[in-house]
Amino acid sequence: MEELILELKERIIDVLNLEELTPEDIDAEAPLFGEGLGLDSIDALELIVLMEKYYGIRLATASEAKPIFRNLATMAAYIAEHRTK
Amino acid sequence: MNIGINGIGIVSAIGNDAAQVHRSLVERRSGIGSMQYLRSVHKDLPVGEVKLSDNQLKDMLGIPQDTVVCRTVLLGTLAIRQALADASVPVPQDAGRVCLVCGTTVGGMDVTESHYEELMSGDGSLHLMKTHDCGACSEQMAELAGLEGAQVCTVSTACSSALNAISLGARMLENGEADYVIAGGSEALSQFHLNGFNTLMILDHERCRPFDATRAGLSLGEGAAFLVMTRSDSARYAYVTGWGNRCDAYHQTATSDDGLGARLCMQDALDMAGLKPSDIPYVNAHATGTPNNDRSESQAIYGVFADAMPLVSGTKSLTGHTTSASGAIEAVLCLMAMKDGLAPAAMGVDTRDEACVPVLAENTDVELRHVLCNSFGFGGNDSAMVLSAEPGPKKVTSVPEQGVRVVAESIVSDVAELSQLREFVPPMESRRMGRLLKAAMLTSMRVLKEGDTECPDAIITATAYGMMETSMKFLDDMCRGGEQLLGPTLFMQSTHNTIGSSVAIRLGCHGYNTTYTQGARSMEWALRDARDLIRTGKARTVLVGCHDEGVDLVNRYRASVGLPPMPEIYSHSILLKAE
Repeated sequence: MEELILELKERIIDVLNLEELTPEDIDAEAPLFGEGLGLDSIDALELIVLMEKYYGIRLATASEAKPIFRNLATMAAYIAEHRTK
Repeated sequence: MNIGINGIGIVSAIGNDAAQVHRSLVERRSGIGSMQYLRSVHKDLPVGEVKLSDNQLKDMLGIPQDTVVCRTVLLGTLAIRQALADASVPVPQDAGRVCLVCGTTVGGMDVTESHYEELMSGDGSLHLMKTHDCGACSEQMAELAGLEGAQVCTVSTACSSALNAISLGARMLENGEADYVIAGGSEALSQFHLNGFNTLMILDHERCRPFDATRAGLSLGEGAAFLVMTRSDSARYAYVTGWGNRCDAYHQTATSDDGLGARLCMQDALDMAGLKPSDIPYVNAHATGTPNNDRSESQAIYGVFADAMPLVSGTKSLTGHTTSASGAIEAVLCLMAMKDGLAPAAMGVDTRDEACVPVLAENTDVELRHVLCNSFGFGGNDSAMVLSAEPGPKKVTSVPEQGVRVVAESIVSDVAELSQLREFVPPMESRRMGRLLKAAMLTSMRVLKEGDTECPDAIITATAYGMMETSMKFLDDMCRGGEQLLGPTLFMQSTHNTIGSSVAIRLGCHGYNTTYTQGARSMEWALRDARDLIRTGKARTVLVGCHDEGVDLVNRYRASVGLPPMPEIYSHSILLKAE
């Protein structure tokens, strides 16, 4: 799981243009949206693409994604359980 | 002075001319269905296509089949020719007194995307890039519609483009800058914006249902509509008596919960027309069918009309969302409704959403002396227009004519300078911005600082090609990587008004916000507008900017026709104030 979380951090930094951050700056338990990392609705849509592209997980709506994207730990747990690639 | 509408032309999913469209409107027939002409893998998305192929359109217009003409131009030319033929007033002999004002955003993208590989792999097809940009599309429409020598101006504010084009045309008549205006918009479906909207997950997989509790997004459509307008006291159709344009200044692709921009522009339009909310019996809402728009627009309508609620409907379940053309298409539908005395109910409203205004379930006979037509675009570019069966109030100019002075100027033409944006915008906010947006933001913030201005009254942008870097990247991802797995970041920065709205969002500027794209003359139009706003007392401080960037494909095209290359980056902002 640690490995997956690190991989996710690196992918998120790349996809969401967070060049200012290093993986160590991101707390896996901190909220991704609003307080915490401070991502927004466009980032959520990019994360949906990321889920499909790298892990073969297809989320049909943004609302379905909401609980999954609470923080990196919830995201990693969901991916570990549902990944098809 | 009264601005009369004397001719109309329209082509859309519900008909190829005004008579067919009128019949579909009255009979509530939708033109949204499965994809027939657009090439895309997203066959599961219903669209409102014009029921004519490019070849059929060329036949109708007498254009040789082997000539490549983009669909935006084909649809626009058809609607302009119809409007001119319908007009009760002849085109003046002096072409310089005629102006075509066209709203479009997608321009010639359909041609560029379908020839992408050959354009990228060699120089043999570069001539196809001639009408990639919106300004060149409008010029070609003018030429094909027999309007040689007329002034041509393109307004590009995403989905509110056409309504803003009509407002601009009305202003030009008021100011005496033209005697005969053909104003409206044209937009063809493209793979580019179908995929772009899809990345935002706001396309419904069933026919769109504006205001319905089960709505799940919009259905894209296409089409064109144009109005012939003159100064007149005996208009054939109606009068343009009020208009407003404001920026919601909330988000690039979403509207605020309270719909502030929408409320302000409706209020402006009513004020200009000298009307009370209770004078408006019917509102043709923007009503895209996205959960966000319809809820936000409802709040704005409640805010303006309170206990004097008008009949409301949205007609995009018939036509689809015709994006940049929608303001003109819906203005024409309003004119038809006024003539018939019939407020049109659209389709698909079966389950009331308590968070939305109540909307018409059936066509309703009602005298329509005035109607309000809403049209909103990306970046929160919100516009509204009042159309009236009778001339408006005599306008009293209470403000003495104002002089204009330049208080600050800033130019950035070196990419290395962009790191200085940090002084004004935190990295978390600028992380998605392409280089042109960064440059425009930098010069804008510099002139505002130098001019000691927190927030201007208006923001006016000029750009010949718009957001080329981000558009080309999205196009490349789509054409080479396929139509799956595209993200929204590039698309949301692809419209020409991304620049003006990003500045407005940064500043919280809810004032007038528009974008001109007319090749080398873009800045001339922008400055003309800015000076007019200040001169007539409508604004005291205006931020004007001219922003463009060069990309390889465009520069190869320009070299092939002997034009100088576009610079890698060029952003020039000017802050104007009243004397």
